[in-house]
Amino acid sequence: MHPSDKSRARPIDKARGKPDERELDDEIRGHLALSVKERIERGEDPEAARLAALREFGYIPAARDAMRRVWYSEWFDATVAFGQEVRIAMRSLRRAKGLAATVIITLALGIGANAAIFSVVRAVLLRPLVNRGEDQLVYIRQSAPGIGAANMTFSVPEIDDFKSSATTISAFGDFSTIDFTLIGLGEPRVVHAGVVSGTYFDVMGLRPILGRLLNTSDDGADAAGAAVLTYRFWNSSLNSDPSVIGKAIRLGPRTATIVGVLEPSVPYPADTEIIANVVTSPHHLGATMVTQRTHRMTELFARLAPGASVEDARAELTSVHGTMMRDNPESYSTRAETTLSVTPLRDQIAAPARTILLVLLAAAGIVFVIACSNVANLILARSVRREGELAVRAALGASHGALRRTLLAESLVLCGAGAALGLFLSGPLLDVVSRFAAKFSVRALEVTVDSTLLWVGVSLAMAAAVLLAFVPRLPSPHAPTGLGLTSGSIRITPGTNRRLRLFAMTQIAFSFVLLAGAATLLAALVALQTANTGYNMRQVLVFDLPTSGLSLKDPREMEVYDEITRRIDQLPGVEGVALGIFVPWRDAGSLGPGFRFTGEGYVPADGEENPHGRLRVVSPGFFSVLGVPLIAGRDFTSEDRTGNEPVVIVSQSLAQRLFPNGEAVNRKLWWTDPYFAKDPPKRIVGVVADVDDENIVPGPALTIYHPVRQVNVAGRLFMHVSGDPYALVPTVTQLIRKMSANQPVERAATLEDVRAEVLAPERLHAFVISGFAGIALLIAVVGVAGVLAFSVSARTREFGVRLAVGSSPRRLLLRVLVEGGVIVAIGIGAGAVGGYGFARLAGSYVENLQLPGALPVVGAAAVLIAAALFASLMPAARASHVDVLQALRSE
Amino acid sequence: MAKNPDPKNPENGRLELLQGTLDMLILRTLQWGPQHGHGIGQAIRAQSEDLLKVETGSLYPALHRLEKQGWLKSEWAISEANQRAKYYRLTAAGKAQLVREQNRWSQLVHAIGRIMNPAPSKE
Repeated sequence: MHPSDKSRARPIDKARGKPDERELDDEIRGHLALSVKERIERGEDPEAARLAALREFGYIPAARDAMRRVWYSEWFDATVAFGQEVRIAMRSLRRAKGLAATVIITLALGIGANAAIFSVVRAVLLRPLVNRGEDQLVYIRQSAPGIGAANMTFSVPEIDDFKSSATTISAFGDFSTIDFTLIGLGEPRVVHAGVVSGTYFDVMGLRPILGRLLNTSDDGADAAGAAVLTYRFWNSSLNSDPSVIGKAIRLGPRTATIVGVLEPSVPYPADTEIIANVVTSPHHLGATMVTQRTHRMTELFARLAPGASVEDARAELTSVHGTMMRDNPESYSTRAETTLSVTPLRDQIAAPARTILLVLLAAAGIVFVIACSNVANLILARSVRREGELAVRAALGASHGALRRTLLAESLVLCGAGAALGLFLSGPLLDVVSRFAAKFSVRALEVTVDSTLLWVGVSLAMAAAVLLAFVPRLPSPHAPTGLGLTSGSIRITPGTNRRLRLFAMTQIAFSFVLLAGAATLLAALVALQTANTGYNMRQVLVFDLPTSGLSLKDPREMEVYDEITRRIDQLPGVEGVALGIFVPWRDAGSLGPGFRFTGEGYVPADGEENPHGRLRVVSPGFFSVLGVPLIAGRDFTSEDRTGNEPVVIVSQSLAQRLFPNGEAVNRKLWWTDPYFAKDPPKRIVGVVADVDDENIVPGPALTIYHPVRQVNVAGRLFMHVSGDPYALVPTVTQLIRKMSANQPVERAATLEDVRAEVLAPERLHAFVISGFAGIALLIAVVGVAGVLAFSVSARTREFGVRLAVGSSPRRLLLRVLVEGGVIVAIGIGAGAVGGYGFARLAGSYVENLQLPGALPVVGAAAVLIAAALFASLMPAARASHVDVLQALRSE
Repeated sequence: MAKNPDPKNPENGRLELLQGTLDMLILRTLQWGPQHGHGIGQAIRAQSEDLLKVETGSLYPALHRLEKQGWLKSEWAISEANQRAKYYRLTAAGKAQLVREQNRWSQLVHAIGRIMNPAPSKE
């Protein structure tokens, strides 16, 4: 009897001895085998022996459970029991496939959208930056709201003032952006470059992944030109080529050596491709830059001194700034209302995305609430159908807990499946949302599918599951309603009915808020797209022809430009060509907030300063090429060149502002901004219509146009083209390359497309919110239809009776439609009140929040009512077609 | 092994196991050496001359309970039916427990015997 075959004997885990399921089965099987063998040896027939052995053993699962229970606690028992509930739930849901599918898909949409958006919110707003000691890193900004300059940047004398007196700051880092023509790395092209002092990288807490970064030995006019590549540029344009270190490149007029590659980090304030030391930019070493307090072009970062808080730094720097303004009143006009802000860098980077992400998060939250109410409705309707089953269980003594557990198991199965599908959906959704958010914050590009997604999805599903389990009312064992026990048909109690309607109204209310929001955005977008810009949008083709320096000092370069325009003019299909310095909208902000000027005989009102005007430089023919009408006077001619009388053309608004009572032509004006030192007066030769090339929403524009040949600056090429404008792009590019091999030719686009590109964030914004609103609308409509369908099917008998006593089918149809209408009307009312309240509340936290206009709100309401009535049609038709006999027999 | 007196009705003439005695019987049976569940059941039946029959539904949970207490150890081996079977073996603690239970049982038998058959007075 003793185990003989030692080789096959397998000792079980002797320390704890906890057997697994297979071992329990094996032990039982071993017993049966022995029992059968013994019976056969006694002379029984093998088949009979097997049956007898099984009979003798008794119910095998019970024995197995009893054995298992020896080893596991009660908690385990409860888990096993719950597992059983889950199995039962799955079986019973398999019988209600349509319901299960609707619930799962609805929840998946809600959970997927939320998980995706929350991941982006976390990555963009909450995650720390890669910068070493990022909590010590602050961004300092000077702004002048009075003249519309959100970011005025700093001048070198201003930075020196801060450096000499700040004690709460251990070091400052400065960064200015400049465009260089880069030669030496592939095709000649214009790159955005950062120009920094040696302390910059140390202050930012950034490390190289290759070579070295810039340090204080790279400062000063005598240092060798050195440049660091940003990771993105090195990775995408240079295929992560390590041999690039040590290469010499030309940056505009100067040369530099590539000394290193920066680690991947959030580019702020500008996404540049290279970062070079000061010596590479002649402008940075010039007297204007170093001594003029108003020559502002530098962004300022700082690292807090040990022990100093952001508040300390803010207080100290603000007071230094105050002193600075008192000591140099000529550089800070009172009207500009210059202020200083000191913000932790992470908050500063997140700021533009914060509002939009919070709006998205709210939209996703609303979709989730709608999805949950809809699912709650479906579950509620289902629980009414199974009230009989629950009542029987309650009558047999099942506790409330046990019934809830049954419901919980079912809702867990549903929500679990919804969450799984939702997470599956959230991958692609995350992709869309992060690309959208990247328009506002570069950090969104770093978003990946991670565990955040998982735990948000799972916790939402759990929340939904618990909520759903507690939605249905349980039959009380003590006061049985007797409904379910006595009849198999569905009855609907007023309480349940009220709840169903309440959930449907909730959905309508929230959908309405989303729809109104989306409609507002769409209306704004349509208004922007159809706004009259004053330009010929379709047939004007623009090119960037970046010049290697800031101006064309060399007259030969101007000759090349002249030759280029002359040759392009002769191309077939070209009706006009002109030069300028500013592509409408695309170059917005590149020339700052404008400069102060005054005119002959112009006296500003008391206490007012001279107005700010936009400086533009254009060649003869510019206005006709762009379709801007000349209102008075003449266009520039080729005779308006250096050496001849300085002339300008002004916009209509400007002419009216300076000379309200008379003719502007032949009067004189001049720039008074300190930037221009002593600007000689210029004669106005023409007045053109207003065009606002800075703002998407056109406003009045005070613009002064100079002739190209008197300022010797160009860089943008404009062509008026008949036929397909883009067909000319290769011809023009080749033509220019042939004339000047190192001349970059970039970003060819029609004005229409330039505007569309600038509007892209708005369009995307409207698109995403509309997507949410669409989902919400769909769910809400399904919800209303579901409630009415359920209400109709529960009242078959009532309708039968009504028809029997002579009610016309048409009246029944109308009744159901009115029912649907009431739900929608109350929902919209609640949504309007709630939405208005929410907007007021949000308005105190979020700036620039506008309440939607009347038209989008009415439109949203109309869409919702139409959709809901459409959804009510089917149940209503069913009510009016009730078969009287059948309906009455059904009881 | 003794033949079943009545194969048609195996319960005939059987005794119900007294509450709490199964553990003791198992421990006692295993004193003769390691054995699997089926063998233990058969041994109890044979030793009691077919008067006691242990239900498998209580035998196996009892074996697991005793193993959990540390009174038995188990290992897998191939049984005479050429199947994997779990063999139980008495541990030192199990032996001590058997002694304790045996003592308790004797006391119980003695006490019940005194009540059921009062000893004739010596006087």
